[in-house]
Amino acid sequence: MPKCTINGKEVEVKEGATIIEAFKTMSEDIAHYCWHPGLSIAGVCRLCMVDVEGARGPQIACNTVVKDGMVITNQSEQIKDIVRWGMDFHLINHPLDCPICDQAGECGLQEQYMKFGQYDPEMNQQKVKKRKVVDLGERVVLDSERCILCSRCVRFTDEVSKTNELGIFNRGDRSEVGTFKDKPLNNKYSINTVDICPVGALTSKDFRFRQRVWYLKNDDTVCNGCSTGCNVKAYFNEEGLFRVKPVYNEEVNGHWMCDDGRDIYKYVNKEHRLLKAKNNSGSQWSELTAGKAMQELHNSLFAEIKAAPEKTGVVLTGQYTNEEYQAVFATLKELGVTQAFHWNDTDSDDFDGLLIRGDKNPNTKGLQNAASAFGALKSVADAEAAIASGSLETVMVLAPENIAVYSNYDKTFAALSKAKNFVWFGANKTECFETTNSSNTWMIPIKSFVEKSGTFTNHAGLDQTFNYVTTVVAGALTMSEAMTLFKGETLEFDLRAKPMTSMKNNHFTLNRGEL
Amino acid sequence: MSKVPQPSELSNWYLPGILKGLGYTFTNMVKNILNPKKMSTLNYPEEKYKYSARFKGNHILTVKKDGSLRCTACMLCATNCPAQCISITASEHEDPTVEKYPINYEIDILRCVFCGFCEEACPVDAIRMGPEWQTPGLAGADFHYDIKKLAYRANLKGGIQSSVDDKERHEAGI
Repeated sequence: MPKCTINGKEVEVKEGATIIEAFKTMSEDIAHYCWHPGLSIAGVCRLCMVDVEGARGPQIACNTVVKDGMVITNQSEQIKDIVRWGMDFHLINHPLDCPICDQAGECGLQEQYMKFGQYDPEMNQQKVKKRKVVDLGERVVLDSERCILCSRCVRFTDEVSKTNELGIFNRGDRSEVGTFKDKPLNNKYSINTVDICPVGALTSKDFRFRQRVWYLKNDDTVCNGCSTGCNVKAYFNEEGLFRVKPVYNEEVNGHWMCDDGRDIYKYVNKEHRLLKAKNNSGSQWSELTAGKAMQELHNSLFAEIKAAPEKTGVVLTGQYTNEEYQAVFATLKELGVTQAFHWNDTDSDDFDGLLIRGDKNPNTKGLQNAASAFGALKSVADAEAAIASGSLETVMVLAPENIAVYSNYDKTFAALSKAKNFVWFGANKTECFETTNSSNTWMIPIKSFVEKSGTFTNHAGLDQTFNYVTTVVAGALTMSEAMTLFKGETLEFDLRAKPMTSMKNNHFTLNRGEL
Repeated sequence: MSKVPQPSELSNWYLPGILKGLGYTFTNMVKNILNPKKMSTLNYPEEKYKYSARFKGNHILTVKKDGSLRCTACMLCATNCPAQCISITASEHEDPTVEKYPINYEIDILRCVFCGFCEEACPVDAIRMGPEWQTPGLAGADFHYDIKKLAYRANLKGGIQSSVDDKERHEAGI
C-alpha cells in the first residue's frame, strides 16, 4: 500500500491507484473533465496537472500511478497558471450560451470555470461554428459547439455499452463527436452519455427544456424497473418527477443505469395515478377517500372473510416492499386465508450482461421470501380458474405499479374482476378500470415507490432500503397502512414538524444567492 | 424633535376658524385661476403625468428584427423574481440556431412588485420595464399578461426591437 503526501497531507492508497484517485479519496479539489472513475483513462483534457517532487515537470494526475513516498501538490502558482490557461483553451470554441443550455446549473465547465477560470479571455479570433441540435438517436441530442472533446461518451460506448456508435471525427479545431452513417446511438444505455457529459453537449430528449435544474430537488431511492434494483436519484418539484439519474453503488449498478429505468418516473406522476378510492357496488362509481374506503371494507368484508376464509384469495405482484408483504401476510394469517397467488407477466431469467434483467419486478425475491413462511404461491392463472369455477368469491389484488411491463394487464384485470367481491390495490389508473365485471368493486390508491420507505430485495438477494422521496398523491396509502385500516385499527401520524431534509439540494428559494 | 403648533385660543370659536379656512381656500383658488400652469394637481385621467424614461412600469418583451420573440426561455428572470410572478414554458425551436424559445410567458402583474430584477437578470435584453403604469382590468384574467400582451400590445406598434439580435451575433462570431 503506497503512501503519498497530497497538498501537505499524508494518505495511503490502493496499489496501482492514480494520483487523481488519491485526490478524490481525500476530497481535495482537482480540475478535470475527461477522467471518469467508471471509464478508462484518456488524458486528453490536460487539466488535472500536479507537481510531483523530483519529476521533470508537471504531470497529469489521472494517468500517473502513485508511488511510495511521492510528494504531490496542485497548489503551486505554476500549476494554478497551467489550469487557468487550460480552461481558457477549452473555452476558445465554446459558445458560452449558458442561458439557453440545459446543463447550466450542473455543468462541469461552469463549476470549474468559477473555481479555476481565467476570467478575462485573451482570444480575439472568431469561434469555430459547428453543428447545433444534432439528432444522435432516439434519446440523445448533440450540440457540437458546446462539446469540449473530453471523449467520455465515446469511451462509454466503447467500454461499457460495447456498442461503438460514437466517434470523434475530423482534426484540430474542427473535431466533432458524431455517429457513423446509418448507425444512430440507439443502445439501451444511451442516456448515460448525457449524465457523464461534463458540458451541455449531449442532452436527453426526454428532459430537454422541461425544467431548469435548479428548480429541481433530488433524493436517493431504488429503481423499480427490474430486479437489478439500481440505486437512483429522483429529481422532482411540486409538479411531480422529471428525471432519474443513477447513483454509484459498486455492488449493484456501478455508475450506470439503463434507459428503460429512466422512464420509471413517468407512471409516478399525477396524471397516471389513481387519486381517490372508488367503489362500484351496483352500477355506478362513487369516489371516496382511501382511509374511508378501507374502513368501509373493514365493516363490510372483514367479518365475512373471517367466517369463510377458504373463499378468499390474494393476488400479489413483486412491486411492493418487504414491509408491505409482511403486513399483508400477517393480515391473511389473522383472517385464516390460505390462498395466495403470484402474478408476474415478466417471469424470465434474461440478463443482458450489464444491468437489464428479464424480471421487471423489483422485489420478486422479497415476495418469495415473505411467502416462504406463509405457504406456496400459486400462479395467477389458478386464481382466474378458481374465480371462473366459483370457488373464489373475494379477491384482493396488489396490482403492479409499473404497468407498462405487464403485457396481460387488461386481460388479467378483466378475469380477476369476475369475483363477487373485488378489491384492487393499485397506484395507477388505466382505461380498463371503466368496465368491471364484479358486483362489488373497490379500488384503493396505493403509494408509489418514491412516496414510501421500505426495502426491495434484488435478484441476488441483496436487501436495499430506501427512504421516502416526495409526495405525489397525498390521499394514497401504503399497503401496510391499508392493512392496518382493514383490520379496523387506526393509523398513527406524527404531526410534529420534521427538519427539512429533502430540501438539501438545489432548491431555488433556499439557494437563490448561490446560483 | 418637532413641535406641534397648538391652535390659538380664537380657533375654539366657530366663526374665526371657518373664516380662516375659507380664506385659505379662496386665496388658492384665485392663484390657480390666474396661473393654472403652476397648479400642483392635474385632471386625471384627461391629463396624465409624464414620468422619466427610466420609470419601471409594465413589462415589455422585446422582439428580433423578424418580429419573433427575443426571449430564449432561460428562466433567469423567473429565477430572480422575488415575487415569483413569472412563469415560462420552454420549447424546442425549429431553427437550430435559436434552439429554445418560450411557448408561454406569463406575468402575474398583481403579484409583481416592479423591482426590475427580471430586466437586470436577462442576458439578452428580452424583457424591459416600460413607461406604462396604468393597468386597469375588469377580471382577474386581465392581470395575467401573456406573450400577446407583453410583446405585441397595440401601443407597442408591432413590438419593441431588442438591442441584441441572434443573426448579428452569429455573424460577428460571438
